[in-house]
Amino acid sequence: MSAYDVFIGLEIHIHLLCASKQFCGCRAQFGGEPNAHTCPVCLGYPGVLPAANEESMKMAFLVARALECELSKKCFFDRKNYFYPDMTKNYQISQFHDPVGRNGRFDIEVDGAVRTIRIHDVHLEEDAGKMIHQGRCSLLDYNRAGSPLLEIVTEPDLRSAVEAEAFIREFRRLVRHLGVCDGNMEEGSLRCDANVSINHPGAGLGTKTEVKNVNSARFVRKALEFEIRRQARLLDKGERVIQETRLWDADKGATAGMRTKEKAHDYRYFPEPDMPPFVPDEPFLAEVASRMVERPLQRKQRYVATLDIAPDTADFLVEELDAGRLFEALLTGNIAPKTAANWIAGDVQAQLKRADTALQGSHITPERLSGLIAMVEEGRLPRGKAKEVLELVIARDEDPVAIVAEMGWEQVLDDGELDGWVVQVIAANPDVVQKVKGGDGKPLAFLMGQIMKMSKGKADPKRAREKLEQAIAG
Amino acid sequence: MDILQSWRRVLASDDNRRRYDAYIERWESRIACLLERDLTRATGTPDAALPLSGIPFAVKDNIAVRDFHLTCGSKILQNLVSPYTATAVKRLEAAGARVIGKTNLDEFGMGSSTDNSALQRSNNPWNASAVCGGSSGGSAAVVAAGLVPFALGSDTGGSVRQPASFCGCFGLKPTWGSVSRFGLVAYASSLEVIGVLARDVDTVETVYDLMAGADDLDQSSLARPAAPPAREIRTVGVLRGTAGLAAPIEAACRNTIDALKQSGCEIVELELPMLEYVVPAYYTIATAEASANLARYTGIRYGLRAAVDEGQEQMVAATRNAGFGDEVKLRILLGTYVLRSGFQDQYYVRAQKIRTAIRNAFDAAFQQADVILSPVYPTQAFVRGAGELSPFAQKLADRFTASANLAGIPAFAFPTGVADGLPVGLQFMGPPFAEHRLFDAVRRLPDVAPLMRPDGYDEGWRS
Ligand SMILES: [Zn+2]
Repeated sequence: MSAYDVFIGLEIHIHLLCASKQFCGCRAQFGGEPNAHTCPVCLGYPGVLPAANEESMKMAFLVARALECELSKKCFFDRKNYFYPDMTKNYQISQFHDPVGRNGRFDIEVDGAVRTIRIHDVHLEEDAGKMIHQGRCSLLDYNRAGSPLLEIVTEPDLRSAVEAEAFIREFRRLVRHLGVCDGNMEEGSLRCDANVSINHPGAGLGTKTEVKNVNSARFVRKALEFEIRRQARLLDKGERVIQETRLWDADKGATAGMRTKEKAHDYRYFPEPDMPPFVPDEPFLAEVASRMVERPLQRKQRYVATLDIAPDTADFLVEELDAGRLFEALLTGNIAPKTAANWIAGDVQAQLKRADTALQGSHITPERLSGLIAMVEEGRLPRGKAKEVLELVIARDEDPVAIVAEMGWEQVLDDGELDGWVVQVIAANPDVVQKVKGGDGKPLAFLMGQIMKMSKGKADPKRAREKLEQAIAG
Repeated sequence: MDILQSWRRVLASDDNRRRYDAYIERWESRIACLLERDLTRATGTPDAALPLSGIPFAVKDNIAVRDFHLTCGSKILQNLVSPYTATAVKRLEAAGARVIGKTNLDEFGMGSSTDNSALQRSNNPWNASAVCGGSSGGSAAVVAAGLVPFALGSDTGGSVRQPASFCGCFGLKPTWGSVSRFGLVAYASSLEVIGVLARDVDTVETVYDLMAGADDLDQSSLARPAAPPAREIRTVGVLRGTAGLAAPIEAACRNTIDALKQSGCEIVELELPMLEYVVPAYYTIATAEASANLARYTGIRYGLRAAVDEGQEQMVAATRNAGFGDEVKLRILLGTYVLRSGFQDQYYVRAQKIRTAIRNAFDAAFQQADVILSPVYPTQAFVRGAGELSPFAQKLADRFTASANLAGIPAFAFPTGVADGLPVGLQFMGPPFAEHRLFDAVRRLPDVAPLMRPDGYDEGWRS
């Protein structure tokens, strides 16, 4: 296979986390009894009119701003005409001529290097319903019909399937940090279609195919890898790529051309007469600005560069919103950022996994965790006991300090008491002491065990060992 | 309010209701203008303090009233019962008025005779072989015959004013956006508005004032400006170059101009060459919007569904083929044609430019004249089979009415008299939100309306 230039552009749709649908008061929620969340407006009854939801407009502007787009000063809606049973009006209210944002950019990280991908536009539209085929019958569920949908279109700047996957992951993080979408690809809250073309080096864009029906970032990569190989084989043989839509089949690990005859769609866009143009005023833009957050990639870079956190750990803290919030909360205290990060990514995660629970609702609060870390840092709790404490915090919803006190795990820091135990153990085990003196280090563990037993576990093992070694050598 | 007062008791008792029903029945056997009537829903007299307490009214059957049908005069929606009520109707109901029936219309409002209704043939109360105009023909006829004190219609290109003139009543097309369109079945959204038909100016004004105002369910609706255009009328513009009017219409123009002069108005001749482009621009925009607005009728969720087994695409095609009449199909095809990509500049975009030019021309005209007097239609109601205009000529005849729809301005049709046994009417147009100026303009003229009663008109049954 020869080397080809690869050009990938993505069209990403996200379901905005609004309480109600785009143009009516129905709940915008995934699932539910079929057609439970419908009304004359979203069912496209005669005579109804769309009444736009300002919350979705704010979210749309927020995403466009986060993608550094030029924001529309006067935003129009258009009708996109096509017949399909899951579309109640047989036109979709979308934005064609004046989208919310244009000409943006978004940074992604691939193998530690940052790439900037241009954003063509960000526009707001409404979702369709869902058609389910059952034997000779087709059923329609319009619960999703009219839900606010934001489409983000990139320029064909992605150069490989890996970059495409990285883009989706980074973008998913962004919308979750902005709080505008839950980013769930399996449930379809975030959907992605990919355009891909390849060409001989330096020859520019080739003939593209569109890959649809991909429901995870990993599958986007796999589908694109397959598609790039398929196109390359065609070009190797001197054949041509046919412009078409291809569906990804996850079971077969392959894309296949849609069997239905490809119609040249003429959407006959024209301005939506039922909606006045939306003009964002100062208070609107100020509220959008107030909802802006640090972009996840920048946050990760900051963690690594200024807080000395390992890149993987930083990725974890940016990826997991609750873990990230816990981390940010700990930063306000005295604990070193790196220590806090390692605790959250290490012990906390391990115990949550064991308890099969999520951080949210796990009873682990910033105060409790910082209290626990402080006890360990000050040597008042053996490091090894921390995971048991965490387990009990999760199970009992109690404070770590109280748990340690109740369990009697607090370590004795008083040197006098420690010295006493050392003296007693040495006196009670002369033979063993002789062996150690003779150069055999192994029985030291036995003596340590005796000290711990005598102290009922309260002795700080590190300090006890130091004192024991000193006493034997002394 | 006197005329309205006399209607207050017609629904109040079973006895009154029976007499009322009998009067309706007498007329309906001649004019067949109601697609559905139900007096039982109007029982229980509402709070007497309300402005329209207990007053019955009729609603064009392309305006939604909960639990009444919403056929739009089409087979495709013949079986549809509306699950909701239009905002304009709700506001009138809140004022105490009660819907007693739905009136016939040209299918989806497309036509100027009401003969394009797929459901029944309605007749003009003045002459049963004449059309009642359209598309709000049923509403005009039931008002003219005294079946209701007022009715609602919709005006996309003259659909309230032309039937009002044909039947001898008043018809208001308000400023676009001043009355909520929520519940008005869309034909051409950017042009149409719900209007009022009645036998006197006061009733039109009362009903309009109750319906108007911004509505959260219609974001294109507008609040009335704090300082609406003044009512005072000193200058009246008249159009130059209105050749081709039927003699009774021309005579009405002359007489009305004289009456206005006598009332102290100055007459200003206006040059509006843009009027020549009104009809092509109007049909381009109206059909483009219609092609999208009527796409929702597929038989999937409501309405007619053709019994086809092959698949959804075939089912939808068969439903639309069986459910729509020829005029509707023609306009959907035209609209689809003018919106094709690559042809939009030639048709749709150009029509929008003409529309802007027409709007500007009216703006300029209202610098010179407080109101404009104009014909409504070049002819009186046509008698079927005699001197009828061809469908194409009927479209050309929309130029006086459709101009107000393109400009979004209010226009008020009023009766001027009867000639050859049929009514004659004219209209005033004004700047946006100048509805009250138009009412006052009509009040300056000799009031001919009380004298204009078709044979069989009776008020005696109400007393
Ligand atoms: Zn709804």
